Amino acid sequence: MITFTDVTKTYADGTMALEGINFDVKEGELFTLIGPSGCGKTTTMKMINRLIEPTEGTILIHNKPINEYNIHELRWNIGYVLQEIALFPHMTIEENISVVPEMKKWKRKDLSKRIDELMDMVGLDPEKHRKRKPSELSGGQQQRVGVIRALAADPDIILMDEPFSALDPISREQLQKDIRDLQQKIQKTIVFVTHDMDEAMALGDRVCLMKEGKIVQLDTPQNLILKPANDFVKDFIGERKSPWQTAVDVIMDQTRSQIYTESDWNSSAILKVGTYALQDEQGEYAGLIHEGERVDAPAIENSSTLKKAMDIFEEQPYPILPVIKENQLIGTISYKDIALYLKSQVKEQNGVMNT
Amino acid sequence: MSTFMDVFEQRQSLLLETLWEHFQISIIALVIATLISVPLGLLLTRNHTIAEPIIGVTAVLQTIPSLAVLAFLIPFVGIGETPAIIALTAYGLLPILRNTYTGIKEVDPALKEAATGMGMNSFRRLSKVELPLAMPVIMAGIRTSMVLIVGTTTIAALIGAGGLGEIILLGLDRGGDINLILLGAIPAALLAILLDIILRLFERTSAKSGFRSLVSLLVAGVLIAVGPLAFGGKQQDDLVLGAKLGSEPAILINMYEILIEEETDLQVGLRPNFGKTDFVFTALQEGSIDIYPEFTGTALVSLLEQQADSNESQDVYQQAADGMVETYNMAFLEPMQFNNTYAVATTQELADRYSLETIGDLRQIQDQITAGFTLEFNDRQDGYQGMKEIYNLNLDVRTMDPGVRQQAITSGEVDVIDAYATAGYMVDLNLKVLEDPENLFPPYQGAPLMRQETLDRYPELESILNQLGGKITGDQMREMNYQVDFEDRSPEAVAREYLVNEGLIDE
Repeated sequence: MITFTDVTKTYADGTMALEGINFDVKEGELFTLIGPSGCGKTTTMKMINRLIEPTEGTILIHNKPINEYNIHELRWNIGYVLQEIALFPHMTIEENISVVPEMKKWKRKDLSKRIDELMDMVGLDPEKHRKRKPSELSGGQQQRVGVIRALAADPDIILMDEPFSALDPISREQLQKDIRDLQQKIQKTIVFVTHDMDEAMALGDRVCLMKEGKIVQLDTPQNLILKPANDFVKDFIGERKSPWQTAVDVIMDQTRSQIYTESDWNSSAILKVGTYALQDEQGEYAGLIHEGERVDAPAIENSSTLKKAMDIFEEQPYPILPVIKENQLIGTISYKDIALYLKSQVKEQNGVMNT
Repeated sequence: MSTFMDVFEQRQSLLLETLWEHFQISIIALVIATLISVPLGLLLTRNHTIAEPIIGVTAVLQTIPSLAVLAFLIPFVGIGETPAIIALTAYGLLPILRNTYTGIKEVDPALKEAATGMGMNSFRRLSKVELPLAMPVIMAGIRTSMVLIVGTTTIAALIGAGGLGEIILLGLDRGGDINLILLGAIPAALLAILLDIILRLFERTSAKSGFRSLVSLLVAGVLIAVGPLAFGGKQQDDLVLGAKLGSEPAILINMYEILIEEETDLQVGLRPNFGKTDFVFTALQEGSIDIYPEFTGTALVSLLEQQADSNESQDVYQQAADGMVETYNMAFLEPMQFNNTYAVATTQELADRYSLETIGDLRQIQDQITAGFTLEFNDRQDGYQGMKEIYNLNLDVRTMDPGVRQQAITSGEVDVIDAYATAGYMVDLNLKVLEDPENLFPPYQGAPLMRQETLDRYPELESILNQLGGKITGDQMREMNYQVDFEDRSPEAVAREYLVNEGLIDE
């Protein structure tokens, strides 16, 4: 839906803000851009609504170069939520929400209905708040209005530039939750800039990690954790990550010492003591052997977290879990593996355990 | 001495007239300054590189003394309201321009980016976001300009544009008549305060609508200021008579007017109350006015920058008239009799008691009396320094401001003062002018001054105006000045009465 091809931004003084950016944001995706300050994430985002023009490369929306759209119409169809919230202080809440619909010449009646609907959606009572000025609202309420202002004219794309960074932690958490729920409901394509890794991981379908004007890694949150492209990614994520978020395949037993084939079972070559995973001829998981009995037990996806693994352990009596990837049985993980791994992640400082 | 309320009652019609003129000139200048500065300021916010130089230019305009601007403008645009409005406009530019530029520039960049990012074009962003947000700052600039302009408009009187400055100048001319000065100054201050309140109310009630409110403010201003002008269409005059500030020149040009209109079909217009010799003379050169009464002494010393060869009236006039033809190609017609020179005056009572007639007579009582002289008179060779030599006097002198002199002699603190010979207050205070038999003071006789081309075009003027040559004695002039200054008669009535009494015109 949004396609960046070899996008480069060089400033007049020769500094290179962006270098060879390539990515493709899918329809309905929540795409987060993250990285340390100065990495070019905001620059990248502002190129989508042409607040910044690239020096080289092309940006397509719906397969059409963005500079072939009328610039104002392009922007009317791209909602924009700013870090500074930036509600117009001289306008009431409803006037703020109406800015883009008015430019798109919406009918007054439709607009009024839309305002009610949007305010209800983010839990602001229209009766009470429509005629208020932004300064009469709390920071959290203001940014809710900032979000619905961006949604007002029903744009295809919404850009969010660190929208929650100016808020207190409680409002921020609430709004993050609201955005996730909202995204479930409205299925917009959202490009979300943040410097907060937890936020990026929690919200993003995919995370684009940038550094010094380049993309370091563009992947799902899980893969960033599981397969960091380099130490920078590891450091950037690692500092923030709880060991519970580690994927199971990071610590699983890959020796296959606990795996037998179906032919082993048929020839009674499996011990009557202990628990083992069974795979069929196609390499797919085919059940557990527990104390010599074949039982049906759930398997776990390789990218799931240790926390998820523990949730499954809690619900069933078997000490190991088969790990699968694309239906193939690739290993097993046990209580003991998890306990040892967690122990290794704990640093002991002055007698206090820290993860 | 009259109280402020008396003066107020006497001068009500003059006050209303000048107040209205003042208001009109100020508002027109303010509207023009706003019309120039606001769009220019907006333009500059879209082109930062030229902003500082242009604001710098308006700052320079601000630093030029307003009097200098007026003097500079007369050769180009003449006299009256036009140069006053131009000068005042130039004065009012800076605060509005700077505040418009700063106001727009200081709008939170996040709000500008939000407006742009949401797809507003430049004009919409300006009118919907930037202007409404910058409005308080712009209005503050307009209010600053307004106060500056209303205050400075008082100098407009110096070039015949009228306004409350006329009353202030009149007061200064009367030797610092404090009541008159206040009568001009207080309404000017009240006008500034009133307009400030109106602008502030306006700013508050219309903080939201940006462009529209500014435009409606300007339209209202234009209507108020220009509306009445549209009705009073000005007719073209054949001859324009100018006069310096004060009752005496005003009476004289009224006489000229009456005589000229009596004997010709020419349409004559009057522009009294020009402040300074320089202004009225430049206006004459430039052609805004055609004739004005000038003193022989002033023509010689100030305009021609010559030393008088003798102190005989006739010689001084001849030297001045010759010089004016040679240097400026101007005709200086016959002078009248009165001599409005420096004079030494004492109270009638003292004069009677010691039979004082001449300045020299003061010698007999010089140990008993105190003199109150202006700093300038005390210092001049044709002032007290000359008196000491020629009349061999040695007085106990206190130097003081012109305005204080009259009060000092009224209260008896001083017994002798310097004065202008024909000033109206001489009559009011019942002062006796001591004669100057040695001709210490150079003669200052009034005579009509005009460009030679005017005389060539209307040669009949010479004989008409020369009817006054040698007429009007010092006592008559003083009496007429007194009637205008203190009895509030119009210069026109006083002039007509004199001409009738002299048999120059029929009743």
